[in-house]
Amino acid sequence: MKQSISQIKSSLQKKEISVEELHDEFFKIAKSNINNSYNLILDKEHNKSFITESQKRYDNSKPLPLDGIPLGIKDLFCTKGIRTTASSKILSNFIPNYESFVTQQLLKDGSIFLGKNNCDEFAMGSSNETSHFGPVVNPWKNKNEPDNNLVPGGSSGGSAAAVAEGSCVASMGTDTGGSIRQPASLCGIVGLKPTFGSCSRWGIVAFASSLDQAGPLTNCVEDAAHILNSISKFDFNDSTSSNHTRDDYVSELNQKTDQKIKIGIPSDYLQGVSKDILNQIENTKKVLSKNNIEFLDVKFSTTEYALSTYYILAPAEASSNLARYDGIRYGVREKGENLDDIYLNSRTEGFGDEVTRRILIGAYVLSAGYYDAYYRQAQKVRRLIKNDFQRIFEEVDFILTPTTPNEAFKIGDKLDPISMYKNDIYTVPTSLAGLPGISIPSGLSSNGLPLGIQFIGNYFQEKKLLQIAALAEKELAFNE
Amino acid sequence: MSDIDIKRISYLAKLKLPEEKEEFYANSLKEIIKWVDNLKKIDTKEVKPLHNVTEKTESIRNDEVYKNNSVEEILDNAPERAQNFFKVPKVVE
Repeated sequence: MKQSISQIKSSLQKKEISVEELHDEFFKIAKSNINNSYNLILDKEHNKSFITESQKRYDNSKPLPLDGIPLGIKDLFCTKGIRTTASSKILSNFIPNYESFVTQQLLKDGSIFLGKNNCDEFAMGSSNETSHFGPVVNPWKNKNEPDNNLVPGGSSGGSAAAVAEGSCVASMGTDTGGSIRQPASLCGIVGLKPTFGSCSRWGIVAFASSLDQAGPLTNCVEDAAHILNSISKFDFNDSTSSNHTRDDYVSELNQKTDQKIKIGIPSDYLQGVSKDILNQIENTKKVLSKNNIEFLDVKFSTTEYALSTYYILAPAEASSNLARYDGIRYGVREKGENLDDIYLNSRTEGFGDEVTRRILIGAYVLSAGYYDAYYRQAQKVRRLIKNDFQRIFEEVDFILTPTTPNEAFKIGDKLDPISMYKNDIYTVPTSLAGLPGISIPSGLSSNGLPLGIQFIGNYFQEKKLLQIAALAEKELAFNE
Repeated sequence: MSDIDIKRISYLAKLKLPEEKEEFYANSLKEIIKWVDNLKKIDTKEVKPLHNVTEKTESIRNDEVYKNNSVEEILDNAPERAQNFFKVPKVVE
């Protein structure tokens, strides 16, 4: 049975275990890297002073909020002096000279980084198969086909697999269209995407700046609350960072409200889904309904347009963000006779197929003659999607959906991009609206694979969202 | 939908696709553009584009200089350097 952050901290406080022993326990599993969930594992020497300092604080009975907790960090967060590749070839030699805002907070709170988690190249993918450093293997196996290696989901696939395999207590991921929630669901863990603007994007390798958001992948909802307490802060270096006062997400996590809670279930999300997926929703309804919770059928009018909108806007922003990789100031430079050749060769050689494809889509929808028809139209539809959510949040407190339309699939199974993109059908609308969403494990499929449900909350209502997720987690009492 | 000029698009994106892959990307792009074409049927005449979802949070700050980086640290990542400069082939004829 995996221990929560609170339980680990309590063991450290009672001296049942030392910070070093705790580190070594996780480091040993990480080091074996059997599922390829790490691009880089920090050797013990690197962490020695962090371990010593953390132990001192426990010895003085003044531990920091995440003191000694071993974490994985998606290889998309710039970490000072530690190679940060975005799982790409073009950044395969990049060593940042600054620390991302989010990882700064985690270090300030005493946590210890074990390594950098594998992910899809530049976070573009839903299976972790686009990584330059090879696919990540899901620690779970289909009980009817136990020899097949399955994807962990993506793009934070290494983060999800690392938490599921027990090589770190929690991992930091990023979510643009589902990249935290979808892999969390496929690996049987918790994944939280906060409201856009909650956690600073400063120092995160940018994919689509109007959508990217950092968030934790954890074993339980309470752990997600602990991490959110650390990372959700205003940062003046991110112009979209919100400066509202943050709640304490941990202290009242299990507090019950007397008020009736209304949860909307979008019936159009459930049309044509498999029985396994439908069961997750039905079962959640069943276990929660005794808690003074009312379930309502809600109807979106924009669902069928969400993926199209996303696959115009995200590649457009990506093609613009990835223009910086030119082989001049950092990253891998290819040979060329003149400057233009260097740009062309470095970029062509440096990007993998999926990233190239998305840059091309972006360049196309932003090009003269197509800008209004695609990009501008998608931005307008994005407003309609946001309005759609706002209308529904006038009737309900939360929205409940499946996290993914399917269980973990075989590595190499989905070859065409569109069928891969459809994996994010339940997570993309939330991202476009900028709303917070959390995926929690809800049960197993008939193949014995984990499935998740997603709760969506209103803007900056992470506290309430975590409360309902904690309640559902308890009622579902899902254990491996 | 008109045919996609993959050479032009890739040049706009500063990519030089190998010839044997041009068709692969052109087809892929065509398929995706066809797939997202359903947005065209939505009437958005009265709708303003949405750039930032939270709309309220866009903020400005004073343009003050902070010295957080050193030239040496930044040039450490340069593929090629000459003294305090990034080195590139001659650009002036």
